Amino acid sequence: MTRFLARRLVQMAVLFVVFLTIVWLLLQAMPGDITNTMVGNPDIPPEVRMDIRERLGLDRPLWQQYLTYLVNFFRGEWGVSFSRYPQPVSNVIWAALPRTLVLFLTATLLAFWMGFKSGKLIAWGRGGTTEQTFIVGGVFLQTVFYPWFAIVMMWLFGFYLGWFPIGRFITAQVWQGSPFNANDMFEELIVTAFVAALVYTIGRQVVRRLATSVVWEGRFRSLLALVSVGGLVLYWYLHPGRTYAADIVHHLMLPVITLGLVTFGATMLLTRSAMLETLEDDYILTARAKGLPDKAIRDRHAARNAMLPVTTSLVLSLAFVIGGGIVTEFVFSWPGMGSLLLEAIRVSDIPLAAAILAMTGVLALFGHLVADILYSVLDPRIRIT
Amino acid sequence: MTVISVEDMSGRSVDPRKPLLEVDDLVMHYKIKAGEVSAVDNVSFTVHQGEAVGLVGESGCGKTSVALSLLRLLPSNAEYISGQIRLDGQDLLQLTDNEMRARRWKDIAMVFQGAMNSWNPVYRVGDQIKEVLDTHFRGEMTYDEQRQHMEKLFAAVGLPAEMLDRYPHEFSGGMRQRAVIAMALACSPQLIIADEPTTALDVIVQDQILKELKRIQHEMGMSIIYISHDIAVIAEVTDSMGVMYAGKLVEYGDTADVFARPKHPYTYLLLKSTPSITGPRRQLAPLEGEPPNLLDPPTGCRFHPRCPFATEKCAMEEPPLADIGGGHRVACWHYEQVPDLEEALVR
Amino acid sequence: MSVGQPVKPETDETLHTSPSIDELVGTGPVVATPLWRVRLRLMRRSLGQNWALFRENKMGMVGLVLIAMFALMAISHPILMATVWDPAIYHPLRGHHAVVQEFTIVEEVTDETTQIELNEARIRLNPFVDVGEVVRIPTQPAPPTLTGEYPHLLGTDNQGRDILSQLLFSTRAAFFLGVVAALTSVVIATTVGSVAAYFGGWIDGGLMRFADLILLMPILPLLIVMSAAMEINMVMLGVIIGILNGFGGVAIVLKSQALSIKVKAFIDAAKVAGGGDWHVIFRHIVPNVLPLTFLYMMFGITEAIAIEATLSFFGLLNVEMSWGLMIHFAQANGYLLSGTTYWWLLFPAGLAVTFMAFAFFLVGRGMDEVVNPRLRAR
Repeated sequence: MTRFLARRLVQMAVLFVVFLTIVWLLLQAMPGDITNTMVGNPDIPPEVRMDIRERLGLDRPLWQQYLTYLVNFFRGEWGVSFSRYPQPVSNVIWAALPRTLVLFLTATLLAFWMGFKSGKLIAWGRGGTTEQTFIVGGVFLQTVFYPWFAIVMMWLFGFYLGWFPIGRFITAQVWQGSPFNANDMFEELIVTAFVAALVYTIGRQVVRRLATSVVWEGRFRSLLALVSVGGLVLYWYLHPGRTYAADIVHHLMLPVITLGLVTFGATMLLTRSAMLETLEDDYILTARAKGLPDKAIRDRHAARNAMLPVTTSLVLSLAFVIGGGIVTEFVFSWPGMGSLLLEAIRVSDIPLAAAILAMTGVLALFGHLVADILYSVLDPRIRIT
Repeated sequence: MTVISVEDMSGRSVDPRKPLLEVDDLVMHYKIKAGEVSAVDNVSFTVHQGEAVGLVGESGCGKTSVALSLLRLLPSNAEYISGQIRLDGQDLLQLTDNEMRARRWKDIAMVFQGAMNSWNPVYRVGDQIKEVLDTHFRGEMTYDEQRQHMEKLFAAVGLPAEMLDRYPHEFSGGMRQRAVIAMALACSPQLIIADEPTTALDVIVQDQILKELKRIQHEMGMSIIYISHDIAVIAEVTDSMGVMYAGKLVEYGDTADVFARPKHPYTYLLLKSTPSITGPRRQLAPLEGEPPNLLDPPTGCRFHPRCPFATEKCAMEEPPLADIGGGHRVACWHYEQVPDLEEALVR
Repeated sequence: MSVGQPVKPETDETLHTSPSIDELVGTGPVVATPLWRVRLRLMRRSLGQNWALFRENKMGMVGLVLIAMFALMAISHPILMATVWDPAIYHPLRGHHAVVQEFTIVEEVTDETTQIELNEARIRLNPFVDVGEVVRIPTQPAPPTLTGEYPHLLGTDNQGRDILSQLLFSTRAAFFLGVVAALTSVVIATTVGSVAAYFGGWIDGGLMRFADLILLMPILPLLIVMSAAMEINMVMLGVIIGILNGFGGVAIVLKSQALSIKVKAFIDAAKVAGGGDWHVIFRHIVPNVLPLTFLYMMFGITEAIAIEATLSFFGLLNVEMSWGLMIHFAQANGYLLSGTTYWWLLFPAGLAVTFMAFAFFLVGRGMDEVVNPRLRAR
């Protein structure tokens, strides 16, 4: 397993270098050089421009520039942002990255979980109007024009029904005079949620080792779920800044739902067809013969095997979700890397744009790696040969 | 009810005169777009305690449908028209879904055709056996007790205990078959149905498995129903056998008796078409034609289109399964005309 | 259990065999029918079979009908412009018509499309108007009007241009883009896939690794950055999308299809017969891979339409008019949240993109069942 991982990591690194090369080539295709936009900027004196030119090595041969670029990237030196001079690009990106990641991860995870569940239930239910409705709905979600869809969602639920705020990260009025910093609070939310999830996952493994019988294991598992979710809720209930945290969560919800819905549709349709195939397998008949209850057959046997092709599709849909994330951030004015990218392009802040593009590549590759690992965990035939 | 340990199972007292399973005039068909397929038509037979019964016939003759009916595992387009399947006197066809589910595996277990794929590839073999114990004996066994029981099961079929922690793809074909048998024994059922237990195995492994099954049957006083298209398998391990053709049971009796003196033309032709290594060379007589379309079965005796002894009566009236002496039953108007086979079967 | 020697069957009946070679080929002189004609016949027969299969499929047919409707829309525009529509009014880019609308003067405006505030009315008309009066003012954007000298069935945008005209005009561009992208991707993917399948070894490995990378690359951010580097128009966009798709997932699928047993036999046989590499690739592999190619073409068009619309929506494309651009204008001019008030600025274009993508998607799914026999109705 570790050999597999090591091999994958190397592959990823190579692919990433290729990707960076493409980005660099794009940079070269830009009219003029990177510092062109600095000329008109009154904040940047000409000597600084000269200095930057030299530091960036723009007066050296092309291949040297390429190598320096690569090395610098891996060192985390991504240049200075023009539009937010003199902030370095890395600072700008690190600030926006968590917000994009949360949007992306929450939407994807939620969508996959719900999509898988519904696809599984529909395939088991076998026909009827519910199935038809869901299929039509799923196809609609897959083919709808996403920017238009996002706009309609925002209008419907934000403006017309008023259930959610209309875009943005926070509602300024709520935060006036607050002793808390929005970004810090956001990070606290992330950390606590992550800890709760970690406690539950590790706890489950511990319970499995220690339990002596089926009945006790079931009871302990329920207790564990209660503790982790309850602990999280309790923590925030007692937190003095809970209204502010609630505001952030409130703002997060609609973009997550919108981005998630599309992935939900695709996952559901895919799970359904995967289930229909799995249900034809021999071990399903055996499971029925063993006298297992319907739910066990559906979930433990059929769905568990259907998960394999669905996980593979996770990888393929990543590229789409990243693009969808950008549109979502734009429509909902969510201050993540997507909005940043569009703004950077608009004002020709090339270093920032290029760095964000490279980061999207990192994200995509990393997601691919995670999906690969997940697949090998799910399918012992891959793990153990 | 607690699970009977493997030791207790050996030495179970069996009364070979007591009927365990009675299939009584079972009639069943499948509904398809084109109409109804008459898959099982008035099939009756009895399995006694500790008895090994065989059902032999071509593909599509209905033997698998009969087997699946015993566990009520038929697909949703299958309909039972009439008949009873009595286990210990209780009609299984009248039970509710939940009641039936409780009895599956605990009273009747099944070893499937192509047992290779009976295993879910993503779980360990031990966990899949444990699943049965958790379902039928929930709360009655601790994890340790379950483990011990499973280790004994594996020992009973000649598999090392460590294999319980392995995944199905790590087993060889023959080992997987043994593991399936071990799982079938897990709830100490009274009856095991073995549907083509040796198909897709090479001959050496085939032999081992059959010997294994025979041993288990005798040691644990279990009844087994063997389903096969391979007459040789049936000959080797069964006490009684039935021959099925086009959904009907055409001959039934003591295995040795049916082999030596087949009285139904179909059985006769079947046996004649099987070459023998030890016997003298003789001309093979392959059966001509194909089994009938069960959407629209032939009138009268279903075998009459292919039968060399057929007369007009056979086309008009269906012969009943009649006892011709010594528990040997035949469904044929002209069974007296069936000649003796040249050699007795060599076991 | 085997018998020593073959035995004569008891009866004299000969076994019934499959149709003899004579029956298939004909017993005439061998040179009779030229090969290309035989091929054409076979192709037409298989096309006929495939069409019959496709027709059974409801999804595919619905998709085809929708595409036909869109095709009609595309054709209708130049016809309308040449006959019924006055270009000065209805031209999608340069037309202008400030539709005269009725407004009631009020103190506080609650409905923008039917009311006008007192002071504003005084400025725009004359200082003597008062609350309650109904006045007529030329407006843009104007809601749909069915009557009058110049009806606008879908209203006008904020520059007074007819929305329906824009909608129909953009259909052409959408088709164009879709076809360019699909063709490019198919040409590249077929070549790459066939080459990889044929040569195998490290050529295969290299191409597939490259395809993996392309599959992973998020197209949208890449295109966004590219739009800053160069002016991207429809043709370029189509080619770029086609290249990206062609080297990516489609190539992988086509390669495995080309490697399927059937085609492998062709390859081996042709190699033995002494055909040159490229000859084998193009005469043997490609025709067998073609049906699957068409399938992916459909999905490729779906993707291309969506990408173009998204990029236009961001205002990053160099196009005259497209559906995405229509929504861009709506957003850029602040009509996004208007929802139902200025619905005609948002809904027609959005629905057009959605339904066009939907149509090609359905056709693709329909073809899937033709190409992939496992999916056929059980």
